[in-house]
Amino acid sequence: MYVAVKGGERAIANAHRLLADRRRGNREQAELGVDQIQGQLRLAVDRVMAEASLYDPELAALAIKQASGDMIEAAFLLRAYRTTLPRLAVSEPLDTGAMRIERRISATYKDIPGGQVLGPTYDYTHRLLDFLLLAGGETPAVEASEPPLAPCPQILELLDAEGLIERERDDGSEPADITRDPPDYPVDRAARLQMLARGDEGYLLALGYSTQRGYGRNHPFAGEIRLGQVEVEIFVEEWGEAVCVGEIALSECQMINQFGGSREAAPQFTRGYGLAFGHNERKTLAMALVDRALRAEELGEEVQGPAQQAEFVLAHADNVEASGFVSHLKLPHYVDFQSELELLRRLRREHEARRQGACQEAGSPTSTTDERAAAPGDPA
Amino acid sequence: MLWPTLNDPVHDSQRLFRQLLSAMSEPGTLHTLEVSSPPGDDIGPALWGVLLTLCDLDTRVWLAPGLDTPELCEALAFHTGCRLSDDPAEADFALVTPGVLAEPIAFALGSDEYPDRSTTLLVALDTLEPTGEWRLTGPGIALRRQLGLDAAAAPLMARLAANRESFPCGLDAILTCGARLAALPRSTRIEEVA
Amino acid sequence: MNGYNFAYLDEQTKRMIRRALLKAVAIPGYQVPFGGREMPMPYGWGTGGMQLTASILGVDDVLKVIDQGADDTTNAVSIRAFFERVAGVETTTVTPAASVIQTRHRIPETPLEPGQILVFQVPIPEPLRFIEPSEQETRLMHALEEYGVMHVKLYEDIARHGHIATTYAYPVKVDGRYVMDPSPIPKFDNPKLDMSPALLLFGAGREKRLYAIPPYTHVESLDFEDHPFEIQRWDERCALCASDRSFLDEVITDDAGGRMFVCSDTDYCLTRRGELS
Repeated sequence: MYVAVKGGERAIANAHRLLADRRRGNREQAELGVDQIQGQLRLAVDRVMAEASLYDPELAALAIKQASGDMIEAAFLLRAYRTTLPRLAVSEPLDTGAMRIERRISATYKDIPGGQVLGPTYDYTHRLLDFLLLAGGETPAVEASEPPLAPCPQILELLDAEGLIERERDDGSEPADITRDPPDYPVDRAARLQMLARGDEGYLLALGYSTQRGYGRNHPFAGEIRLGQVEVEIFVEEWGEAVCVGEIALSECQMINQFGGSREAAPQFTRGYGLAFGHNERKTLAMALVDRALRAEELGEEVQGPAQQAEFVLAHADNVEASGFVSHLKLPHYVDFQSELELLRRLRREHEARRQGACQEAGSPTSTTDERAAAPGDPA
Repeated sequence: MLWPTLNDPVHDSQRLFRQLLSAMSEPGTLHTLEVSSPPGDDIGPALWGVLLTLCDLDTRVWLAPGLDTPELCEALAFHTGCRLSDDPAEADFALVTPGVLAEPIAFALGSDEYPDRSTTLLVALDTLEPTGEWRLTGPGIALRRQLGLDAAAAPLMARLAANRESFPCGLDAILTCGARLAALPRSTRIEEVA
Repeated sequence: MNGYNFAYLDEQTKRMIRRALLKAVAIPGYQVPFGGREMPMPYGWGTGGMQLTASILGVDDVLKVIDQGADDTTNAVSIRAFFERVAGVETTTVTPAASVIQTRHRIPETPLEPGQILVFQVPIPEPLRFIEPSEQETRLMHALEEYGVMHVKLYEDIARHGHIATTYAYPVKVDGRYVMDPSPIPKFDNPKLDMSPALLLFGAGREKRLYAIPPYTHVESLDFEDHPFEIQRWDERCALCASDRSFLDEVITDDAGGRMFVCSDTDYCLTRRGELS
C-alpha cells in the first residue's frame, strides 16, 4: 500500500548533518582555518568577494570553507549575507589613479611613466607542477624591494592629451543601484558595468573570448592593467569634507579599442572598462571586452555577436541567479509532469486511432514511424 | 503637540499594511485604523497611519497647498525620512483634499509600459460612508459596492472616474476620514447614481 | 531569530515590496518590477513568493506552505521551517485554517475563503517569454495589448496536435486586459482563479516581478470558439480517498508497470479520508 512520503523534515536535517561531515573530511587531519583560506587562497577569496559584491576577505574565506570550496555557493552565501546589511553611507567615487600600485602593466607602450611593474603574477610562470609544494617545502621570503611606487598617472589619460582616445565624462547623473532596483532594459552603462562587475567570471571570459574570435570583434589592446590598494572615502556632512574609512584592493583594466568616428567627429580610439574587487585580473580583462562589445549600438556598430546583445548578456551574467534557476530543476515537478503525461497519452491515443483509420481506408499497411510529439513549453 | 509614531514599528506597520492591502484589493470596503491622532484638524489618524506605513527615504511626497504646514513637513521628515517634492508629476504619494482636484494637477499617471510609476492620492475627506451616491464595480467587487461622500468630493470622483479612459495608466486613491479608510484603485468603475 | 528582523527582510525592503503590492493589486495582472533581494535560499526555489510572504506576514497569521499541492514535499517543509524560525508564526497544513498560503504549482482543492491570501512562487512571470525572449519587446507588447502572437502559438498547437499543447502555466487574461502567467499550476487549477474570493499574489524573485489578482476578478483562460478551454480529466479516482474531482499524481508502485493515482493535494485527501472513516 502506498503511503504518502512523510518525514521531509528529518530527511533535510540528516542531509545537513551529512554535508557538515563531508565538509570536515578526515578527522585525523588538521581542520582548515578560515585564516588559512584568507591568507593562502586569496585569489579564490577575491573572486568570491567580486561575485558576491561584498568586500570582506574574512567572511569570503568563511563562505569558501562553508561551501567546501564551491565558489558559486560561496558567492551566494556572501551575497545573501550582504542583503541583510544596513547601508550606512555611500562612498565618494574611487580614484584608481591614486592607487597604491602592486602591479601595473601596459601592452600599448614599451615604457611608461612610473614603469611597468609585474608584481605578483602567474603570467610568466611555467605551468609545471611544483612538487616542492606537495612535499611541504618552505617558500623563501621576498627580499625587501624598492619603496612602494608613487601613484602613477593612468596611461589612457596620457594618450588623451592628443585627443586620440575618447574621454569618459561624468554626466552628473545619479547611477542606478542594481542591488536595489530591478533592471529596466535597455540599461545604461553605469548599470551595465555594475552587472558585469559581479557577473560570473567564466561567463564573461567566454563572452569576451567570443568577441576576439570574431563574434563582435573590436580590436582590443590592453592599455593598462593595474592592481593595488585604493582608499575609500566618505563625505561627512558635519565636517564638510571627505574622510578615508579604509582601503580595498582593486583590479582595473582599461582596454583600448578600434576607433570610431563620424562625419562630425574625427576618428578616435574607444574604450572598454573592467573593474573588480581584489586580484581579479582575468575577470577585468574579460569585463572590459564585454563592456566594449555592449557599446555597439551607442557607437553605431552592427550587432552581430552574442556578446553585443545587452539584454541577453546582462540577464544571464549573475551566477547566483543562474545557478539557482538551473538547480531548481531538482525540485519536484510531479504536477507539471503529470499534466504533460496526460496530454501526451491522449495525443498518442488519437494518433493511433487516426493511423488505424487510415490503414482501414487504404486497406494497406502504412508507415510505422511514429511522429514524435513535440515537447510543449519548457517545464519551469 | 507631538506627532505620534507607531508604538511597535515592525508589527504595527504590518497590521496597517494588511488593512491597506485589503482596502485596495476590495475597493470601497471601509477599514478602521488604530493609530494615535496627529495634532491639528487637517489630517486624521488613518491618513497619518498610511504615511507612516508606506513612506521612507525612497518615496517622494507632494503636499497640496493648504496641507503643506511646516509642522507636517517636519513630522514627515522626522518620522519617515521621505522627500518632499514640489512637482506632483514626480510624487509617489500626493496628500490632497478633494477640492484640490478641481484644478487639473499633473500627477504621474504612469506610462503604458510602466503604469505602476504613478502617483497614489492620499485624500483627507469629511465624509466617508458605506452607502451613498457612488456605485463601484470591477475587480475586487463581487457584485457592486457603494460609497457615500459629501458634495465637496465631486471633483475627486470625476478625476478617478476618468481612470477608465486612461487605463492601465491612472491614479489610485486612498480615501480617509478620521480613523476610517477606503481605497479606489484605477481598476474600479465609478458611477454616480441618483 | 537573533540578528535578523521579524520575517527576515528589513523594514525598508518590506515597505518597497508593500508599495509595489498595492500597485499590483490596482492594476490586476500587470507585472510590477520590484527591487528583489537575495534570500538565504537559491533563486528559483521560491524566493519571490518568500519575499511577498515575508512582507505581508504578521504575528497573528497562520501560514501554510505547499509544493505540488503537498505540505510534506521537501521544499515546502524547508520554507515552512524558515518562517517558523524567522517569524515564529503558527503554521498549519489545513487549508481553511490558514490565513496565508504560499504555494508552488498548485491551488488547493478546498475552495479558498474571503480574507485568505494565496502567494504563488513564479519562475518566469512573463507569459510571452517563450514566444519573445526580449524583455524590451514583451513590455511593449503588453503596453500595446498586442497578444496576437499568443493566440497564434496556441493555434499552431491545435493545427499540429488537435489540442492546445500547454498543460500548465496556461495563460490567462485578467479583467479583460493583461495576459498573465498564472505560474506553473496545471491548467486544471485555472478555473479556480476566476472570481476567487481570496487575494492572489504572485512573486518572481529572480526576475524581480510581482503581480496580483484581487478577489472577485474575472480571469479567463485563453481559448478559441472552436477549441474551448478544457481541464485535465482522469479515468481513475484517487486510490486513497476515492475523489473523482481532484488533481491526481501518478505513483509508480513496482517495476512491472504498476501504478496508482492519488490526490496531489495532501490536506484535501487526508481530510476526505478522515471524513470517510
